[in-house]
Amino acid sequence: MNKIMYLEFERCIGCRACQAACRECGDHDAKERNYVEYVDFTESRQTYPMLCMQCKDPACARVCPANAIQITDEGVVLSAMEEKCIGCRNCTFGCPFGIPKFDFEENKMYKCDMCYDRSKHDIAPMCASVCPSEAIRFIDFDEMQQLRRRRSQMNLVEGKKPQEGNKWEYVPEFFGVYTD
Amino acid sequence: MSDFIAKEGVQNLHKPGEKLITTHCCYCGMQCGMHIRVNKSTGNVVGVEPRYDWPVTNGKMCPKGVTAYQTIDHQDRIKKPLIKKNGKFVESTWKEALDLIEKNFKRLQEESGKDALSVFGGVSMTNEKCYLVGKYARVGLGTRYIDYNGRFCMSSAAGGFIQTFGVDRGSTLPWTELEHSDCFFIAGSNTAECHPTSIQWFWKAKDKGAKLIVADPRETPTARVADVHLDLKPGTDSALANGMLHLIIKEGYVDEEYVSKRCNNFEELKQNVEKFTPEYTSEITGVAVEKLIKAAHIYGMSPRSVVMFARGVEQQSKGVDNVRLYSSMALLRGQVGKFASGVATFTGQGNGQGGREHGQKSDLLPGYRKLTDPAAVEYISSIWGIDPSEMPKPGVSAYEMFGEIEKGNIRGMHVICSNPAVSAPNLEHIWNGFKKLDFLVVSDFFLSETASFADVVLPATTWAEDEGTTTNIEGRVIRIRKVTEPIGESKPDWEILSLIAERMGKGKHFSYKKAGEIFEEFRLATKGGKADYYGITWDRIDKENGVFWPCPSEDHPGTPTMFEESFYTENGKANLGIVGWKEAGEVPTQDYPLFLTTGRVVFHYLSGNQTRRVDFLMEQCPEPFAEMHPALASRYQLEDGDMVKLKTPRSHMTVKTKITKAIRKDTVFVPYHWGKELAVNQLTSDCLDPVSRMPEFKVCSLQIEKLPTKKGVLTRE
Repeated sequence: MNKIMYLEFERCIGCRACQAACRECGDHDAKERNYVEYVDFTESRQTYPMLCMQCKDPACARVCPANAIQITDEGVVLSAMEEKCIGCRNCTFGCPFGIPKFDFEENKMYKCDMCYDRSKHDIAPMCASVCPSEAIRFIDFDEMQQLRRRRSQMNLVEGKKPQEGNKWEYVPEFFGVYTD
Repeated sequence: MSDFIAKEGVQNLHKPGEKLITTHCCYCGMQCGMHIRVNKSTGNVVGVEPRYDWPVTNGKMCPKGVTAYQTIDHQDRIKKPLIKKNGKFVESTWKEALDLIEKNFKRLQEESGKDALSVFGGVSMTNEKCYLVGKYARVGLGTRYIDYNGRFCMSSAAGGFIQTFGVDRGSTLPWTELEHSDCFFIAGSNTAECHPTSIQWFWKAKDKGAKLIVADPRETPTARVADVHLDLKPGTDSALANGMLHLIIKEGYVDEEYVSKRCNNFEELKQNVEKFTPEYTSEITGVAVEKLIKAAHIYGMSPRSVVMFARGVEQQSKGVDNVRLYSSMALLRGQVGKFASGVATFTGQGNGQGGREHGQKSDLLPGYRKLTDPAAVEYISSIWGIDPSEMPKPGVSAYEMFGEIEKGNIRGMHVICSNPAVSAPNLEHIWNGFKKLDFLVVSDFFLSETASFADVVLPATTWAEDEGTTTNIEGRVIRIRKVTEPIGESKPDWEILSLIAERMGKGKHFSYKKAGEIFEEFRLATKGGKADYYGITWDRIDKENGVFWPCPSEDHPGTPTMFEESFYTENGKANLGIVGWKEAGEVPTQDYPLFLTTGRVVFHYLSGNQTRRVDFLMEQCPEPFAEMHPALASRYQLEDGDMVKLKTPRSHMTVKTKITKAIRKDTVFVPYHWGKELAVNQLTSDCLDPVSRMPEFKVCSLQIEKLPTKKGVLTRE
């Protein structure tokens, strides 16, 4: 796999197509493994997608006493192996992004595996495939670097930069905030 | 590379034992390309796969599209005809149901004449079916009373475009050009929620520096990312557009060469907008003067701009005027008929474009021919094999049909692929109409709110069990493919209509064996009309990724960009909109001090008859809500989630509040996708646009009252 997942929060339109599509992925048993949150609905309609960051040294795997969370050669962090998982839920507490969830009925942990059956062949994961606003993208590393550079440049052109204490206001401000 | 992956073209995951059938989504006008996954051995639909090679949507889908396939074998599907006996539906055979329909239809026509029957169509169907509904009403039943739910959705855009450009094609440019535009002026459209897959094009353009201006009373997810958000009072669009025209002229942004060569009435327009200074416009609309000036500046300075609008400006008692004025903005800038610029309306229903061209409107025949034009009547009569004298006269519009029921002129109705018991305004009038009918037949695949009033419900198929064409948001004619066999004893609409027509003694006019035969007749019927599909064939659609109408011959390439040379008016020039400013049909008063406006949420489609049955979508948005500003909420001592009683001069309902700063302080928004006691259309006004006869869903006056917070099921008091 030569590509990475790239998120651009301010593009998110809150449609949750990514969640619906996640349920459609091969072995996801109709449960979504990514999430969309409002920053603060009472203030603005700004939403953002929350996906597994596929950490290089994932907290979920580190805190797993049974060593049930495997990482593929490509760096994809998989759901806990059923035969090893002891159901302690350390992974759900350990992840700083709240990604792993625990199914109490089935007694197993599930998390985003970047649609491994797709992404290992360089086909975009379902969430990135369908995202109508391209808030979630499956792109080359170089393209990601370019996008990040351009974003910083645009911020400079527009004369905007985040300030201490108002980081949540920053995104709506940049794209036109509602005023009376 | 795995064997599971398609070897050629863009890659899709291809699982063993499955085949991918290429088709389009059944919901909105975007008609997103998708593959449906079908189990090869059982023929069952098992899922969906994005279609990366469809140029309009590139594999993008919204949550409705992703879950659309789940309606196909849903447990609620009606699998056999239902007949109401002692107030309850009982399953029957097709023969029994058709016998009953024949008996009652004939009885009503013998007692009260041919026009005792009526047909209420819809535009979430293929072109073939839409065409056939018109023929079924006029030839099969011989009635003048036919109209369709597009009257609630598209007719003001149609009226405005016809007056301005001489023809009604929703978009003058293909969507794939949008990424090259420099400015989008979007009025009354919550694009991100209603046409989500369009958003990628705006972002592509925005990444290159394009600007976005959004006029909307709510800070929708679309308005949130706008460079200028014109937060106007509901119903004041014509003042806003006149104000923009004033500024475009005053600031010298007019493309004078274009206007003198290609537009009528510029001097009158100039005079008309003279008084719409930013200050006067601001007074009416409530939008700050600086914002108006900034918007006009951005729009006026953009070399390639697109004016887009949707139901927000069209569902008003002056919707046609609004469309004319907004279109005039593009004309003054010389943008219509050029690359990556022009005018577009977002079609709300799947075939909102095609469905309005082919004779479902009370006054139109296929190909946009007028029923009042003797030559048109003669031509269509020759295609249909009837005498021109047999052609019924124009009827009345959708909402007005219920007035005719009240008067006793209409006694029987056949509702096809539509759910007016949720989607029409002033619902108590509609419900009373249905109760008063002597005989109501509904064709649907779920038991909709309208179907619950029926005497006979006929099980129709979903979009995946039939084939045909639809016309998408851009005017591109595309193919819908058959994915699976009809469930139970359900039948495609065209087959149902043919069976009834046969029972009414008109079988020779409806001897179709497959949808393709209807398409061939339909092509001929549109030949020479303004909406000319004659040159379009199913093969061409497959080869060319869809064909844009007008396409008068098979060697014609189709028309992606409209009006490059001239317009369809008498002198070939566009008519600029000379329209003043009028109040909405109903405005706030002392008793009803607020504005009520309605619309969609991203998780539901139209009356919600389909999307309310999909688990994922219902989990995200299970019930309607009253969205209001914290300042308004505090005035009534309301907190988020409190129950609130909404009351208009017509009726009242109870919903939960949802508090957000992303709406005007004088406006309450409620989505309309629910029926019965949760239907906001109980409250909406029945003011109609004088030209398009479209109801004013977007504005009415409202009173609110706090109720003791109640948990659990909402009930109507």
